[in-house]
Amino acid sequence: MSSGHAITPPAVRIRDLARHYGALRAVDGLDLDVMPTEMLTVLGPSGCGKTTMLRLIAGLEAPDAGTIEIGGRRVAGAGAAVPPERRRVGMVFQDFALFPHLSVRDNIAYGLRRDPDRGVRVRELLELIDLVDAAAHMPYQLSGGMQQRVALARALAPRPDVVLLDEPFSNLDAALRTQLRGDVREILRAAGTAAIFVTHDQDEALTLGDRMAVMVRGRVEQCAPPEVVYGEPATPFVATFVGIANLIHADCHGQLATTRLGTVRLVGPRDARTEGRALVVIRPEHLDIAEAPDGPADAGSWRVLRRRFAGTEILYEVAAPDGERLWVEAGPGVRRLRVGDSVLLRLRQVETVAFAARHAGDGQATSDREPAHAAEQRVSPIKGD
Amino acid sequence: MLGADSIRRGRLQARTFRSTFPVRRAPLPLLLAGGAVAGLAVLPLAYLVIRALGADPASLDLVLRPRTAVVAASTVALALLVGAGTIALGVPLAWLTTRTDLPGRRAWAVLTVVPLAIPSYVTGFAFLATFGPRGALQSILAPLGVERIPSFGGLFGATLVLVLVSYPYVVLATRAGIARTDPAVEDAARLLGDRRTTVFRRVTLPILAPAIAAGALLAVLYALSDFGAVSLLQFDSFSRAIYVQYRASFDRSLAAILSLMLVGMTFAVAWGESRVRWRAGAYAGTSRSSRRPPTNVPLGRWRWPAVAFCAGVVGLALVVPAGTIAWWLVRGVGQGEPVRVVVDAAVNSFLAGGGAALGAVMLALPVALLVARYPSRTASVIETATYTGYALPGIVVALAVVFLATTTVPFLYQTLALLVIAYAVRFLPQAVGTVRAAAVGIGPRVEEAGRTLGDGPLRAFARLTLPLLRPALIAGGALVFLTTVKELPLALLLGPIGFDTLATEIWDASSEGFYTRAAGPAAVLLVLSAATVAVLLRNEEGAR
Repeated sequence: MSSGHAITPPAVRIRDLARHYGALRAVDGLDLDVMPTEMLTVLGPSGCGKTTMLRLIAGLEAPDAGTIEIGGRRVAGAGAAVPPERRRVGMVFQDFALFPHLSVRDNIAYGLRRDPDRGVRVRELLELIDLVDAAAHMPYQLSGGMQQRVALARALAPRPDVVLLDEPFSNLDAALRTQLRGDVREILRAAGTAAIFVTHDQDEALTLGDRMAVMVRGRVEQCAPPEVVYGEPATPFVATFVGIANLIHADCHGQLATTRLGTVRLVGPRDARTEGRALVVIRPEHLDIAEAPDGPADAGSWRVLRRRFAGTEILYEVAAPDGERLWVEAGPGVRRLRVGDSVLLRLRQVETVAFAARHAGDGQATSDREPAHAAEQRVSPIKGD
Repeated sequence: MLGADSIRRGRLQARTFRSTFPVRRAPLPLLLAGGAVAGLAVLPLAYLVIRALGADPASLDLVLRPRTAVVAASTVALALLVGAGTIALGVPLAWLTTRTDLPGRRAWAVLTVVPLAIPSYVTGFAFLATFGPRGALQSILAPLGVERIPSFGGLFGATLVLVLVSYPYVVLATRAGIARTDPAVEDAARLLGDRRTTVFRRVTLPILAPAIAAGALLAVLYALSDFGAVSLLQFDSFSRAIYVQYRASFDRSLAAILSLMLVGMTFAVAWGESRVRWRAGAYAGTSRSSRRPPTNVPLGRWRWPAVAFCAGVVGLALVVPAGTIAWWLVRGVGQGEPVRVVVDAAVNSFLAGGGAALGAVMLALPVALLVARYPSRTASVIETATYTGYALPGIVVALAVVFLATTTVPFLYQTLALLVIAYAVRFLPQAVGTVRAAAVGIGPRVEEAGRTLGDGPLRAFARLTLPLLRPALIAGGALVFLTTVKELPLALLLGPIGFDTLATEIWDASSEGFYTRAAGPAAVLLVLSAATVAVLLRNEEGAR
């Protein structure tokens, strides 16, 4: 998405943005670029500053520091303070914020006051969101999903440079959410508008985004295509926040990392810290699990601590005699294991990343930046449960 | 009319209750008791209709007389002006006290709604005693050689007084509308290209319009039903015309016909109010869980003009009445005005009020239990019927009870008993609303637990439900008491000869210009009005 149009400026360009509320640093030194026609998802725990970032881009709040450019035009910072109505930014709010006194048609036409062809444009959008028949309905006559689509059409109508979506599915039920996810993606594709989609749901962030940004404590931790974020997390926080990750000790030499379970190849840009003692990211699917052969339990073998059913596969938490715990994924072919069973683990031939360990030889998996959080994430592998 | 919101809220709770508990058939005695109360409540209106139908056909021509048309036109003019005036004061006050950085915002939020509790004739008296003939202003100006000042009254005086006592309806309704609206709609409008001022015109105001209209229509209802202010200020709206007709003529059917015309007008307004209130509800935001709190608009250099505006309204609606009453009270004491008169009137008022409170609570109990415990179509009809007396203008209820008593139970006419019954029926909804809300909250499970522990149905009710309902019974009774004490037209038309209440004292004395005599009872009522506000605020908190 980011290739091809070298001359076109990014739809949104944010540099060193900060917004503080007293002691709370809601946004704190944030950099972000969104390319034209790109869909960028922003994932982060609640309170990480996602919504504040959107409101800063929209001009509903003023930054304390940093700059924002939209379509190559400086709108905030360094003397600029363009009011929201002149930023060419569309926004879809969490509660949709439809105008309750206007029909669907008039809601969509709201931002087209000065457009002589607004009738045509409204018709176009009604078709895009497949609500032509409901054009005369009032918002309170619509279902949540329909309101959602109207809100999107209303934001797209004036052809903004970028559309901001603030957790737009958070107030809808799960089934509707999955369906709308597809709808919204198609509508935005068809409109060809750049979009920033903020969410705390990692499925949403992974499936919807051309790229995804992981945000924590007011800054972007990593911004890359979803498969890169998952496969080559930039920090231990990203590794444990997106998907499930075991951080295990390894000795790194060049591109090889040797762990207690075997050797893996390292990928991605690495700095000098990862030379020697380090932590590598091992996803549950990087490991094979099998029941240990009968006989007296091997003193060095792993034991099943607990089991979690997750649809087609089963997740097992296993512990080594020294206390190290790992999450392992077992595909449908593996025989069901019980808690307390002795098991054998095998590390597959995978490529992964490594982070510098703070204390070499430390029994627990810790990292240089997010020890507490990483540990916390490891005991609760399925997000949102 | 005050407290209508809490009554409605109770109604809503009853509906929610219906959906969560299996509905059982009501015991016959309870149904009969409720039906009897409902019958009692609709009796006056039914009789009025019969009376008007039985009028001499010749007198029907009187309906079409020019004089009737003038009265109708005056009433409409008053209603329109009061509606416009209350919007002009109420909407800015509501906005200033909710969405801005107005200095002392919380205090203003309370002070701006207090005038609602002051009876219109007390404010009317205060303005008359300040600006009227032989009023405070003239006696201050007299030494300067000012012999006459323009008379205070008529359409201007009546409008001013009624706006000052009823604008809080608009404040309350608008505030509720603001609270229901998702502040994000304004953000959405700005992102679609509108400046702040345009957003206000295209989004904020249209969304609030139904709420504002509902508040203004309540104020209009108040103005249509008002007797005290229009009669003191001698403005011939329907209320006063009915009273004059009743006093002056032998054919009281004409008064009945005028009453029905007024009833028709109030019902039309009430219908309109329920329509716009429905719309206001439909405009309310869906979820408020993820709603951001609205940011307060900084007033900047408009800060102090805004404070001056609030102070001006509160000054006219609260300080002028209180100040005038104090001024005449001091003069009265200086002139040796007998305190006995005030004490006698207060005793009479409290007697009537206490009796009405007791009666209303007793009548309300079966209705409230029926609606809360055994919701059904019959229960709804019974409940709606209890609102009849409350919905009608006071003068109409008074007249209907007079007709009814003189023809059917003449021995009750002009007795304290009849007055108390009339009050209990008129203010019944205040008690029903409070008691029903509590009954819904308690639910049938407590009593059922008592039954499993060996109590019979009546014993379980008396040992468990009744004690739990006690706070609500007291609150409902207190509300009826305070409203009764302030009530004027029923006391005027139904009170026994020589039975002067605080309300009739003020009315008598100030219509004849004896302001020092009116000041004492007015001071007592002002204090009671403050008590009303306190009770209502407590009820609102309890309802939450």
